[in-house]
Formats: sequence, C-alpha cells, structure tokens
Amino acid sequence: MTELTYIGKPARRVDALEKVMGKAKYIADRKLPGMLHARCLRSDIPHGRIVKLDVAPALAVPGVRAVITSDDFFEHGLYGFPVKDKYMLAYQKVRYVGEAIAAVAADTPEAAQAGVAAIVCELEPLPGVFDVAHALDPDAPQVGPDRPDGQHPNFLDNLIVRKGDPLAEWEKCPFRLEEHYSVVHQEHAYIEPEGALAVPTREGGVVVYAPNQSPFVNHGNLALVLNLPHNLVRVIQPPVGGSFGGKDDLVYETSAQVAKLALITGRPVRMIFGREESMIASYKRDAMRMHVWLGADRDGTLRACKFAGLLDSGAYASESPFTGWRASIHAMGAYRYDACHVDITCVYTNNGYCGAFRGFGNTEVCAAIEQAIDELAYQVGMDPLDFRLQNCLRVGDETPHGQVLTESVGLTECLQTVRRLSNWDRKRRDYAHQTGEIRRGIGVAALFHGTSLGAEGRDYAGCTISVQPDYSLDLTSGLTDYGTGSRTVFTLIAAEELGVRPERIHMQRPDTDTAIESGPTVASRSTMLGGNATRIAAMNLRQTLDYAAADLLGCDLHQLIRDGEAYVGPSEEPVSWEEVVRHARAMGLVLSAQGRWTAPRIHWDHHAGRGVPYMAYHFAAQVAEVEVDMRTGRVQVIGIWAAHDPGRVIFPQGAYGQLYGGIAQGLGYALMEQITYVNGYLQETNFESYLIPTAVDVPEIVGTFVEAPFSHGPYGAKNIAEPAMVPTAPAILNAIYHATGRRIRDLPANLERVLLGHDLAKDGSPRACKVGLRI
Amino acid sequence: MLIEFTLNHKPVTVDAPPDITLLTLLRDYLGLTGTKDGCSVGECGACAVIMDGRLVNSCLVLAPQAAGREVITIEGIHAADGGPNDMQENFIAYGAVQCGICIPGMVMAGEALLLHNPYPTRSEIREALAGNLCRCTGYQQIVDAIEATAKGRQGNR
Repeated sequence: MTELTYIGKPARRVDALEKVMGKAKYIADRKLPGMLHARCLRSDIPHGRIVKLDVAPALAVPGVRAVITSDDFFEHGLYGFPVKDKYMLAYQKVRYVGEAIAAVAADTPEAAQAGVAAIVCELEPLPGVFDVAHALDPDAPQVGPDRPDGQHPNFLDNLIVRKGDPLAEWEKCPFRLEEHYSVVHQEHAYIEPEGALAVPTREGGVVVYAPNQSPFVNHGNLALVLNLPHNLVRVIQPPVGGSFGGKDDLVYETSAQVAKLALITGRPVRMIFGREESMIASYKRDAMRMHVWLGADRDGTLRACKFAGLLDSGAYASESPFTGWRASIHAMGAYRYDACHVDITCVYTNNGYCGAFRGFGNTEVCAAIEQAIDELAYQVGMDPLDFRLQNCLRVGDETPHGQVLTESVGLTECLQTVRRLSNWDRKRRDYAHQTGEIRRGIGVAALFHGTSLGAEGRDYAGCTISVQPDYSLDLTSGLTDYGTGSRTVFTLIAAEELGVRPERIHMQRPDTDTAIESGPTVASRSTMLGGNATRIAAMNLRQTLDYAAADLLGCDLHQLIRDGEAYVGPSEEPVSWEEVVRHARAMGLVLSAQGRWTAPRIHWDHHAGRGVPYMAYHFAAQVAEVEVDMRTGRVQVIGIWAAHDPGRVIFPQGAYGQLYGGIAQGLGYALMEQITYVNGYLQETNFESYLIPTAVDVPEIVGTFVEAPFSHGPYGAKNIAEPAMVPTAPAILNAIYHATGRRIRDLPANLERVLLGHDLAKDGSPRACKVGLRI
Repeated sequence: MLIEFTLNHKPVTVDAPPDITLLTLLRDYLGLTGTKDGCSVGECGACAVIMDGRLVNSCLVLAPQAAGREVITIEGIHAADGGPNDMQENFIAYGAVQCGICIPGMVMAGEALLLHNPYPTRSEIREALAGNLCRCTGYQQIVDAIEATAKGRQGNR
C-alpha cells in the first residue's frame, strides 16, 4: 500500500477546541427569544388505563401556552421500528413508570411544572408483569400489543441459531457444564440529559434541534406523527453530550412533543430533562437471564453449545428484536463447535423499557459465555487462555452460523498479545494459592463482534463534499458524531483522498436539509459505512480537480503528481490547490460531489437460524487483574490489558479513547452498575445511587491494536466503539474467580455477592420515582 | 437581591433571587453556559468551578454564597490571546475530549489540582478527578493531559 499521509497518524479531534473552551452549545445551552419551556406529565404507576385526561385546568394556569396529548398527533403518535408499539404520548394505557402522558409549554419552567400539576389525569392501575420468567404465563397481564397471530401478547420475538443437535453431542462429552447467568439493566448515564428545541417556520413547518443519534430517523418520525410533508421538517444536530445507544426513542418522543407545541404556539419550545427524569423515563440496556450448556472433549476441544436467553424488553419493543438478534449471533462466543443452538426470547414486562446500548446484546451474552468458557477450561484442567486459543475462530474456519471466515480474523494474535502484555503466565502461577485477606487474580475474555448492521437491515451511507468560495471544503454525513470521533475520521479520509490538509475541511454536523440519509448511527458502523461514503465522495471530487489540474498543467492525468496540496506536471512549476480550483471554476466544472456506499449483500435465514450474519467481525481479547478484599468483598481492578482488531486504525487517538471509555463502561457493568426495578419502580434515580466508574475506579489501561485489514473497509478499517466494552465484564469476573474461588454468575459483582455469594434482601419503594418525577 | 463577586477576574453585580444556585446564576443570569448541569445534586462535577482557589460543584452553592468570592469558570480559562491555555491545549493534544460535556468541569478540576499540587502523581490526578464523572473516555487521556500540563508548568518555573 502506498504511504498514507493522514490515515493512522496523530490528529486533532475536529470539535475538541470548542469543547475545551466551554464554547460548544449543547441543547441546554441554546435559548431563543420568546422561547417556551416544556415539561411532561409522566406516569407514576407501572401499568394502568388512562380513564380521564383533562388538560383544561392546565391551560388556565398563568403562563401556560399549550398542552398536548396523544390526540394531537397523527394516529395518536404511534411509532417504532421494527415494531410500531409506542406513542409519542401515552394513548389509552401507560406501561411503565415515567411514560409521558401529556406535555405542557409555558413561559417559564415553573409555569410548565404548575401546568403539569394542574392536569387532571386518572389512571386505573392494572396488574403488572415484573418477573420476566412469568411474562409468558397464560394468565400474565397483557403488556404488549394485541397479537393477531395467536402468540402470547407479551411475546416479542425469538431469535435462533441452529447447527446440529448440541444436547445430543453434550451428552457424549466427557466434560460438561450447565449453568445459569444473569445480567441486570444498565443505564447509559450520558452526562448530558435528554432535551430538544423546536422552532416553527413561516411555511408551517418546524426545525428541531435534537441531541439524537439518528437525525433522519427523527425526521421520518416527525413527518409521520405531525402529518407534515418531509420538506417541512428539518432536524439539526447540536453537539451531543454522550449517547452510547441511549438517545434514540426518548429523544424522538421529546422532539415530537416540542415540535407539536411549537406548531401550536408559533413559538420556539425547548424541553430539557433533569437527571431524575432522564433516569426514570429513559430506556435501559435489557436485563437477560441465560442458561448455558457447554461440552468439550478430553483434549479440551469444544464440541457443543446450547444457549437459552430470556430478554426483558420492558414495556416496549424499541430495539429489542435487533438486540436479541445480535445477542443470538454472538451467544456462543468466538469458537468452533460441532453443534450449537441459540434461542433468545424477548418478552414484554412493566420494568421500564429497554433499547439500544453499546454492545447491543453481545455485552449481555458475552458476560455469560465467557464465564462459562472459563468454567469449562477449569474442568478440563487447562489454562483458560490456552483453552481459548485451542478453540477460537481463525481464518478459514466456519462459524456455528455457517459462515466461512476468509479474512481479517485477528483473535489468536489478540489472545497472544494480552498474554504477553499482562504477564499472564507468571501471574497465573503467582496467584494460584493465596490465603491472605487481600488476594489478586487475573482473568481473560475473548470477543467477536459483527461489524455494522449485518443482516438486520439495508446497510448504506451517503456523504457530500463541496469546495467553498474561500477554498475550504464542506463535508457532510448523515451519521452523527455523539462523541465517537467520526467527524474526525471522515475529515481524515477526505483529506487523504483529496491530498489536502485536514484543516481545510469543515465537517458539518448532520442537518436533514443538507446531508444524505445514511441509515441510523448505531452498531459502530460510522467508520466503515460513513468512511467508505466519504472516500467515494472525495474520490469523485478529486477526479474533477485532477482533470482541471491536468488541463492547467497541459499534461495527461497519469503524469500528475502531488507535492503536499500542490499539483506538479512533467515540465511545469508546482501549481497550488487554489490555482487548480480557480482553473476548474473557469472551466465551468462542478466542484461538489456525493458518495454512497452500500455494504456487500449478506443473508440470514431467521427461520433456519443459518446464514451469513455479518460481513466481518471485530476480534479482541482483554485481561483484567483484580485485588479483592476478602473482609469486605471490595474489588479493585488494578490492570486491564486489551488487544483489539478493529481492522486498520484511521484516527488512533480517537480509537484509543473509544477503547478506554468502553472498558470503563464494562468495568461499571461488572462491578457497580445496578438498576433495580421493584414492582416496576426504578430505585436508582441519580448518580448518588446509580454508581458509574470514577477516575479512581478505572485502572491504567494498556491497549493495543492488532490491525487485520478488512478488504471492504476504508483503508481496511472495521469498527471499535461497541466491542471495546464487551469483554471487560467477563474478564473481571474471571479474575475475581481466580482471586477468590467464587463465581459471580449474576452481575454486577457487588460487595455482598463477592463476600457472601448472594444478595442481601433490600427493600424497594416507589418513593424515588415519585419524588424524581416532580423535580 | 444584588450579588457582588469577582467572576473570571472581573467584578460583577447581579440582581437575582436568593434561592437559586451559583450554577443557575452563571448559566441563566450571566449567560455563561460553559458550566454544565449533569445531575444537580453534586455527584457528577460537570458544574465544577473554582471558588476562592477551591474546586466546588456550583449546583451545591447557593448564589448568595458567592458574594465577595472569587469565582473562575471555564470561560475564565484561556491563554492571553483568548485561545486555549496549556491545559486546554493538552486536552486536545492527548485526545481527552469525546462528547465534551464533562470537559469544562475536568479542565477546572485539573486547574484546581495544579493550584495546590504542582507535582501530582498519576494517582493523585485520579484522586483529584474522582468527583468528576466522564462516561466517554475512561479518564486515561484526561489524566495524560493533566500530567503533561503539570510537567510543562514545572519546566517553566
């Protein structure tokens, strides 16, 4: 490959300067003259029928300008993908504590709150489903929508993988494991709570500023529920203060609410969430209960895997059918098996609701399978890292789904790398026989993680690039940078292809009026999909500029060479990029271009549980070292070594940032992040009770990239954001076992689980939610 | 009531109700939105400012308590030319910024630390950041940036 100038080299994040100066304007920092403040009335019961909803008293409150209910939206604001089961404001029923019922716009936040308090809303409580194991009981209260197909209404989806007959194989295995594991809900805990700002337009439309993940999804929803043509709806992306999968549905709802209020009042309307409202109303990572069977030969060869997962989707489907699908594809881990069955069953309950969160199903199943693999390694009597090396996927292997891996499989190298970096073999020996009160342990987990959407849906992205009058370049993408660094990645790719300095390029935030619809910003797909689209757009523009340069220099295209930004012909002095642009303009050429890239076609047969789920996979291994205080159960993670294969790294500083940040989220998932629904009431409503890792909880991390290029990725790039967090929790749990001899099969490994091996009975109450919804 | 204090090295007088927080005073009455509201209960540190040389969560300070004090916010941190100072420059150079919502508080925490401890170890830097939550970065590059700033300032002593 020719030497690259910007790809893989040190670079500055394009939006870092405004952020370090405190000048970036997030949604809560944006105020407009005449702007109204909006607030929602939210359900304080987990399941109930709306028997009376009278907003007239709220309209009589001084300062209140408008109040809306589901009646104000087209088809009551019904929306959702892949299942249309949620309303922009509750219609007829509420199904979780925190569900929005009505929205008020007023001159001040205080008046809006008074308006909410004045709404007459009578809810008739209905029995709820709070235990996921009983969601499908014949007499379980109905949470989900009516099912015309005869299925239980609380049944959402079942996602399968099928290869052979694993239980028959398992019976024959000399080494067998059968265990149960569970993970609880996880809160995204972005430091910026949700919000949205809508501005009515003279034409009868609306412009919405929303810190959402996927502005074009928001755009489509808005046009639908406001019953407006697409051209009258515009969504503009402000800086987003973190998302991690969390700023989809709820921000779309908020957007629809402020948009409708703005259309009614003719004034800008903004809604900003406090932390309690955010925690109570927002969707979480799903909780999952998992039952795993693993079998191996006497020589440690894995033979059989059966995996059954029960996924709590909560009150609405949101992304759970997709989460469940990704969970099913990855549930068996990155290993070869003779036979493998996976069933992930998604059900409705009244425990909040669940949607996308970094790792998207794989985080959940990896916590189980990578502990199960560890447990089986101990049974076989093998070093857990050797056991993984013996069984892990390599180039040429066929996955349990039936996909032959032909390239870009860096797992063996990742495992060997973390073994070396962490001093694995020495520490395994040193920590093998400890008796003291403070004990150390070291554990490993391996990972594969499919790139982009896979067979979930059509996978494409678009990009535009244009030369501006001042010779700068404007670059747009339909994909959002909510902190991931994708704007910098796209800038570097465009600079590389065009042969211009990155400083010349202005990478815009998405605006649905100017960017090209690119599918959702999810699944760690930006670098591959948006990167390829950027590369194509830049190549298209470069063809035009090269043509102008050749004309200016009086030579053939193939005779052109570049010296920095300048063009040089065979017998001429260098001409500057500006001169080439001027010449192109004089020639009447169009100095803008588009790019679109569509992923190679793949196919998954949902009924057979076979096919090619993803075009490529990210592979990784992480080792965690812990110190456990046997007197208190306190676990301190003292080291993490992470080797990841994201394909070619484009923006190293950003990729390392994703890696470290993902690991910190995985550490929280392993040890402290506990979401508890008691009879549908969330118990942790702010950061004093929902703990996320601080700078003293996260150790110094040694990260390294094993770059196994993928032929379809831009410069060989795959992905990094999601997979960074996935293997951390099981690596830590395996280290705790090494230190203590105790398996913590239910996350998180809090003090009492580590010390006592079980939870202490805790009271729960509706209080935190009831108070939190009034703050 | 009238609240007089020194804000970013300049005297200010604001007419505001006595029952609001310093955070609300800064954001809603003075238009300084660089200080962020992440939790309103003093847990996340996004609202951190320096008051009389100490890092405080401005959501836990009542506005009248600022009277007569010297308050520095992120808008008061910059180089002489208005561009980034060495701390901010290092946050950029070391990749300490992702979504950025915690970053003003992080910069304030770093500045407050170096006021009292010009020679911090990495673990002292982590201790100093323990009241500032970041969900994106895993803190490592933030620690790198503050460590580099401390070393740079030591060299200039």
